[in-house]
Amino acid sequence: MPRESWPLLALLSALTLLLLAGADAWRRNANHAERARMHGVLTQLTGSSDLALSSSSRWLRNPTLVEPAAAAADAPAILDTDPAGALIPPEPTVLGQSARSLRSMPATSTRHRRPR
Amino acid sequence: MKAHVARFRFALGACARRAGRTASMMVGLAFITALFAAVVFLTDALRHEARLGIGELPDLMVQRTVAGRPALLDAAHVSSLTAMRGVRSVTPRVWGYLYVPSLEANLTVVALSVSPDASLALEGRLPRDAEDVVVGQALAERLGLRIGDEVALPAAERYQLVRVVGLFRSATALRTADVVLAREPLARALLGVPDGAYTDLAVALSVADEAPVVANRAAALFPGARVLQRSLLERTHALTFDARGGMLSVLLLPALAALLLLAWDRLTGLGEVERREIGILKAVGWQTREVLEVRVYEQLVVALTGASLGVALAYFYVFWLGAPGMAGALFGWSALYPELQLTPSVDASAPLSVLAAVVLPYVAVGLVPALHAALLDPLDAQRGRT
Repeated sequence: MPRESWPLLALLSALTLLLLAGADAWRRNANHAERARMHGVLTQLTGSSDLALSSSSRWLRNPTLVEPAAAAADAPAILDTDPAGALIPPEPTVLGQSARSLRSMPATSTRHRRPR
Repeated sequence: MKAHVARFRFALGACARRAGRTASMMVGLAFITALFAAVVFLTDALRHEARLGIGELPDLMVQRTVAGRPALLDAAHVSSLTAMRGVRSVTPRVWGYLYVPSLEANLTVVALSVSPDASLALEGRLPRDAEDVVVGQALAERLGLRIGDEVALPAAERYQLVRVVGLFRSATALRTADVVLAREPLARALLGVPDGAYTDLAVALSVADEAPVVANRAAALFPGARVLQRSLLERTHALTFDARGGMLSVLLLPALAALLLLAWDRLTGLGEVERREIGILKAVGWQTREVLEVRVYEQLVVALTGASLGVALAYFYVFWLGAPGMAGALFGWSALYPELQLTPSVDASAPLSVLAAVVLPYVAVGLVPALHAALLDPLDAQRGRT
């Protein structure tokens, strides 16, 4: 093949890759009916169709059932302010803190102790 | 037709002669397209996953609020709703969140209210005895649990011993990573929900189309109640993923604009060789239209190659690698994060729209410089005058 034809070769290679991606998508969807049945069963079992993507924040775990007292009640679709929305995740210790764990945490110094 | 093919071959040769410019534009376009396409693929796949389960949701879900805060419902609410015209059945549900300090994560505890054939969704069996639970894969991995193991969970009042009798399959992780499924008494004990109280009510209607009417009646019956219709839940799903995907796409727009600006700059600056080439072509009898056609073919070859490569790379990044980096930024860092096993939705509109969003502007910014080049006077072009 002459050297001048590399753009054609690049174009054909890119289109072939695109077709291969399409074929892979088709293959992965071969059992679509079974997956739909599985998701139906899961909805029956869990009572919700929400995805388990933000389980550390209760108002984000079930955006469709978001409660009026939740931080994201009016806009469950907003970007997560806590703890998501960042390319770098927060420290696991910060991520795991909650009112409950803070309450059970012993005071380490008098400076942080609440006044009686 | 032969003339068009010949001009297309000439355009390919022109691309090859300007190898550096052609290759750099292809790589730039591939990079920008891959970023856009990855966002589209991710949001599309997650929206598709969420949609799959919506068909089995109840027609209405009724929650109760007191002083603007969520409150439990009782048997009186169940009987009032059941007596309402158009209501086929009311299923009281118990579910909620349980914080586990050792995991620093919330679990979603759900009381089993139906017993379908669940072999598709889980290994093992559904809870039968008082202490039985089915748990999600992410939770089982974090606690090192297998079927038959027992573990103490921090219930509302004291630690509660539970026995794992089933594990949700890994294919369901996106829905069940943090779920603990138990029989109702155990779920009540874990969540601290007293007997006779319920988290919410699932309402099945005789005619699903009557949902708005029944919802209004239910809201009037229980002041402060929140009545959620299935159609609204679908909307929330769509909004959630569209908003996040859209936000990231908007952030990428300056990158696309910068690339198009660069393309404009490169394409408007005709080199000496290109000018002579156009001059010779016109001197040997090529028309302006034919020169323009060749320039458009050049743009199309570069744009199609770059954009197709970008879409293919995005597919590989999202569905083979699980979109490391981008998935976290888009969908949150939860403590019990499911492994993203996404299935692409077979819908050509998403990749085609990405291709169009990149190819069309690129060809468009090249049209004016192409017309400018095609209108050059043959003698001026060969003498190096513009």
